Amino acid sequence: MLEKTGVPTETQIDSAFPNETRLNEGPVAVIECFQPIPCNPCAMACPRQAILPFADINDVPVMDNDKCNGCGLCVMKCPGLAIIVVDINWSETKALIKLPYEFRPLPQKGQILHALDREGHPIANAEVINVIVPANKTPVISIAVDKDLIKKVRNICIPEDNDSIVCRCSDITVADIQSFIAQGYTSVDELKRITRLGMGACQGRTCIPLVMRELSTALKKPISELTSGTHRPIVKSMKLGDVAAYGGKS
Amino acid sequence: MRISEHPILDLKRSSPVKFTFDGTEISAFDNETIAVALHAAGIRTLSHSVNKHRPRGLYCAIGNCSSCVMIVDGEANVKTCITLVQDGMVVESQKGKGNLQ
Repeated sequence: MLEKTGVPTETQIDSAFPNETRLNEGPVAVIECFQPIPCNPCAMACPRQAILPFADINDVPVMDNDKCNGCGLCVMKCPGLAIIVVDINWSETKALIKLPYEFRPLPQKGQILHALDREGHPIANAEVINVIVPANKTPVISIAVDKDLIKKVRNICIPEDNDSIVCRCSDITVADIQSFIAQGYTSVDELKRITRLGMGACQGRTCIPLVMRELSTALKKPISELTSGTHRPIVKSMKLGDVAAYGGKS
Repeated sequence: MRISEHPILDLKRSSPVKFTFDGTEISAFDNETIAVALHAAGIRTLSHSVNKHRPRGLYCAIGNCSSCVMIVDGEANVKTCITLVQDGMVVESQKGKGNLQ
């Protein structure tokens, strides 16, 4: 699952979260780092040694949850954006999540935006509580979301106009795609035939994943259940004789 | 702008070459791709989208997106981001889809 879609399983997510007692005690870092790779900036970043020192650089980080105070230094250092900080008792009804965010423009304090799940689908509205922009490190955005969403929300999306280009070859925008999906073109192949997306010079390398995301949101189906359409590369017919005679080489 | 010093990589500049872009002479090094040489010379628009003719520049830089296709020595639809520049090359911007020879 993780290898194929980048989305960890529920068991993996549960294993990354501290127990309920610790969650209730105050802010704590949650490290969703499941694959051993040679990477250790998180352990180096923690001033309280709450991320235990690595015996081997390939180790996955191990947390001492009692030492962590949820400062978020590891969030801005993790190159894989795999760490968040969760404060479940931030208010009566809302939990606070500190997320790493590397897109521009950055959100503004007080802004209401979409909270996204791990597949990138908007699942709730979130208020931006704080925006920290450290020099040469990953900005950290604090958002307030409903408490039951702490294991689901993993990113944010600033609501934008729908003029963004999806297909760079044929100038097709998000609004075009959404309007065709609403009209009943509900697969990549159908959208390809009506809009010519994926048939330009890049052969769908840029647009197909974006279109699948739009389809997944509109149809409420995970991307793994959609197909990316029939790939028909451009061909030009030629005679066998031309192949045989090519350059006179054997 | 070219990177001349790099903390990790040892950048060996190879021989300087010259090529033309739409008639203008441009200096480059012969281990650079055409798109990189044009970028270093300040040229940001490499092609235009086929339908609405919007400018397209260096985007993926690995030969995926086809935003950089140009006419090189008469051959249309050359991905300039993965084609090395050669001395005396004639590079032209391409209008529309280009023609097979």
